[in-house]
Amino acid sequence: MKTLLKLFLVLAVSATAQAKEIKLLNVSYDPTRELYTDYNAAFAKYWQAKSGDTVNVSQSHGGSGKQAQSVINGLEADVVTLALAYDIDAISTQAKLLPADWQKRLPNDSTPYTSTIIFLVRKGNPKGIKDWDDLVKKDVSVVVANPKTSGGARWAYLAAYAYALEKSNRDDAAARDFIRKLYKNVPVLDSGARGSTVTFAQRQIGDVLLAWENETHLALKEFGADKFDIVTPSLSILAEPPVAVVDKNAKRHHTTDVANEYLKYLYSDEGQEIAAKNFYRPRNAAIAAKYAANFNQVKLVTIDQEFGGWTKAQQTHFADGGVFDQIFQL
Amino acid sequence: MKTNNKLKHLVIVAAAGAQFTLPAFAADAVAIGTNGTARVEIPALSADGGNSAEAAEIKTLKQQVEALVQKVNALEQQRAPAEQSTTIQNLDQQVRVLQRQRELDQDAAVAKAATAPKITLGQNGFSFSSADSNFVTQIHGLVQLDNRTFYRDGGLNGNDGFLLRRARPIFTGTVYHDFDYNFTPDFGGSVVQIQDAYLNYRFAPEFQVQVGKFKSPVGLEQLQSDPVTSFNERSLATQLVPNRDLGLTLKGDLFGGAASYTLGLFNGAPDYSSTTATTSFQDNRAFAGRVFFQPWKNSDVNALRGLGFGVGGSYQVNHPATNTATGLTPGYTTDGQQKFFSYGTGVNANGPAWRISPQAYYYYGPFGLLGEYVVSDQLVSKAAKSANLQNTAWQVSGGWVLTGEDASYAGVTPLHPFDPRKNQWGALQLVARYAGLNVDDKAFTGGFASSTKSAESATAWAVGLNWFLNKNIRANVSFSHTAFGEFTGKASPGTVPAQDENVLFTRVQLSF
Repeated sequence: MKTLLKLFLVLAVSATAQAKEIKLLNVSYDPTRELYTDYNAAFAKYWQAKSGDTVNVSQSHGGSGKQAQSVINGLEADVVTLALAYDIDAISTQAKLLPADWQKRLPNDSTPYTSTIIFLVRKGNPKGIKDWDDLVKKDVSVVVANPKTSGGARWAYLAAYAYALEKSNRDDAAARDFIRKLYKNVPVLDSGARGSTVTFAQRQIGDVLLAWENETHLALKEFGADKFDIVTPSLSILAEPPVAVVDKNAKRHHTTDVANEYLKYLYSDEGQEIAAKNFYRPRNAAIAAKYAANFNQVKLVTIDQEFGGWTKAQQTHFADGGVFDQIFQL
Repeated sequence: MKTNNKLKHLVIVAAAGAQFTLPAFAADAVAIGTNGTARVEIPALSADGGNSAEAAEIKTLKQQVEALVQKVNALEQQRAPAEQSTTIQNLDQQVRVLQRQRELDQDAAVAKAATAPKITLGQNGFSFSSADSNFVTQIHGLVQLDNRTFYRDGGLNGNDGFLLRRARPIFTGTVYHDFDYNFTPDFGGSVVQIQDAYLNYRFAPEFQVQVGKFKSPVGLEQLQSDPVTSFNERSLATQLVPNRDLGLTLKGDLFGGAASYTLGLFNGAPDYSSTTATTSFQDNRAFAGRVFFQPWKNSDVNALRGLGFGVGGSYQVNHPATNTATGLTPGYTTDGQQKFFSYGTGVNANGPAWRISPQAYYYYGPFGLLGEYVVSDQLVSKAAKSANLQNTAWQVSGGWVLTGEDASYAGVTPLHPFDPRKNQWGALQLVARYAGLNVDDKAFTGGFASSTKSAESATAWAVGLNWFLNKNIRANVSFSHTAFGEFTGKASPGTVPAQDENVLFTRVQLSF
């Protein structure tokens, strides 16, 4: 009897000790495909070494606002890695899938890397575009996504607005006029950043693309450095794409631990290196210094300084009837 | 480039060979033509050629003009390609923008279609579905207008006529992908009643849980959907199985439908009776279940694909009378829905009840055959007397679709829906049935039924023709003959079993 009992216990222990196969869904914004393809492979390796479990991370990409809405509507994301905090706030407030203070759970307001908005122009810069002023000239065609649906486009809009405010000594009317002129030069509004890259690079529309910094480098890599030049304006905005575990989904999927670890690992040396290699600005100072050549110097303003935070910026500029709706209809 | 060279050549030739017809050289003699090249008009010479001074002046002027022409053409050649290039580039950008906007519009349309609710209206009724099909609402309906005409009925009154046999709006749907519901009231009888009202949770095809009011899983013919039965009325065999009951079942299809099972717990309904929401409380629940096999359903053996067989049954430890009901059937009825057997006054169910029903069907092409045998066992009592009564019934029905369509348990779908303009007439099916029912002798010998009022047995045959005009409309005509056995009340006119029953049925049915 004792032998049978021992055998049973051994079998039970060995059964429970078997490696698990864990699935995670990372719902992200448009230009992070390459970053998370690299990162997921690295994390899977790390997690298997640490726990013995296999983790497969699926990726979903699209305009940040649209992605947030999908999660609110039931897309079962274990983690979200979106373009801006407001979109994760929306998941928290509308679907109650994670607490309101989610941003305090990880360092740097849950933003393991940053980025900014710069310009991509045709090779040789035939229109001589150097700064935001050049984008409002009548003969310049600007490609940028729709800020109502794209996180990157919201950052781009705010960067332009911040420039206009600084140039006009904070004259809001002048800034609006500047933005109106700029968007008058936009022939196509894609719903996401990747779409506007396609518009500019593949469909060869426009003279300048307002894009995530990493997206401009990716375009050079993908389409050839002989086709485009990167132009860094005198001022831009510090874009802080945050990450968060979607608590209720992760709990339901029994993936809370691995989801938390997945995001924490973004702050590790390896995670930061992968971010830097994909042209996201790492938070880790040492790694940022190591990859300093990847990033041009630019004066960066923050959304808190210039616009009083995301909630206010969203309400003022991007909500229905906001500044963007007003100027884009004109 | 070729065009420009050609134009230049023409201008030079024109200048060199100009007809000097104008009175004087004009300052504006050089102009840009509509084609973008220079043209020159040279002042005229006098008829006699003029004096030498004038000739020299003209020569000088001519040289100046030629030089000017060359300069203009040179400038034109420099400017025109740039302008043309700019125009072409602008046009190219406009075309690209339009193409891209069209792409984005198409993407947006696809995205919108992917999230837009779907509305369909067709032969299967009205359906309103969310884009992901997680939420579905369907409206179906069933209306049957019958006529019954009895022949040689011994003067029985009030059995002929039209009737609205069934009039049911059927509301079905799905919520949260896995929860199906059905709500079916019936306005066809003398009182409005709820036929079906249930919720079914589909965890997987193999594992489903259904709660509410629905058909008890015992009889094969009884479980066949109302719009597709072969005849207007179900056979004598169905008289011994429960109809709709209140309870819950665990059910599922196994091996891709090659086998299915249903295990249920119900209030317990008497033979061919339904329980109601409020008047059928029993102290003991009834178990009902059924297993059914279609081993070749998914095979390549065509001749055996339509073979199905199984067994259904029920068991109730104690089926006592209640304050409001005897716990027994109100009576067994003929095809013409006339009661030929009923228990006497004071007879109640008073003990265990069980049923068993081996059953099978076979469909192959236009041919269909369906049969079942039912045993219904019930302990009954009257005053101090009690007896275990075992009633039995059976039926075999067959059909042949004359127009060649496949027959099936789920009905016939015409290949050529009725449309006389196209010389299409729908599908025709010939059907026949033979059935019998025997009441236990002890019902009569024990005094639980009277042989002067009830027959101990009934045997019925029926033939019919079903016309499926299309998937939704069907018309039937059939004739049924029922003979009764061991009835001793033939001398008493006005009772059903006093003579054989001969009834002609017709039906027009709308179902969707």
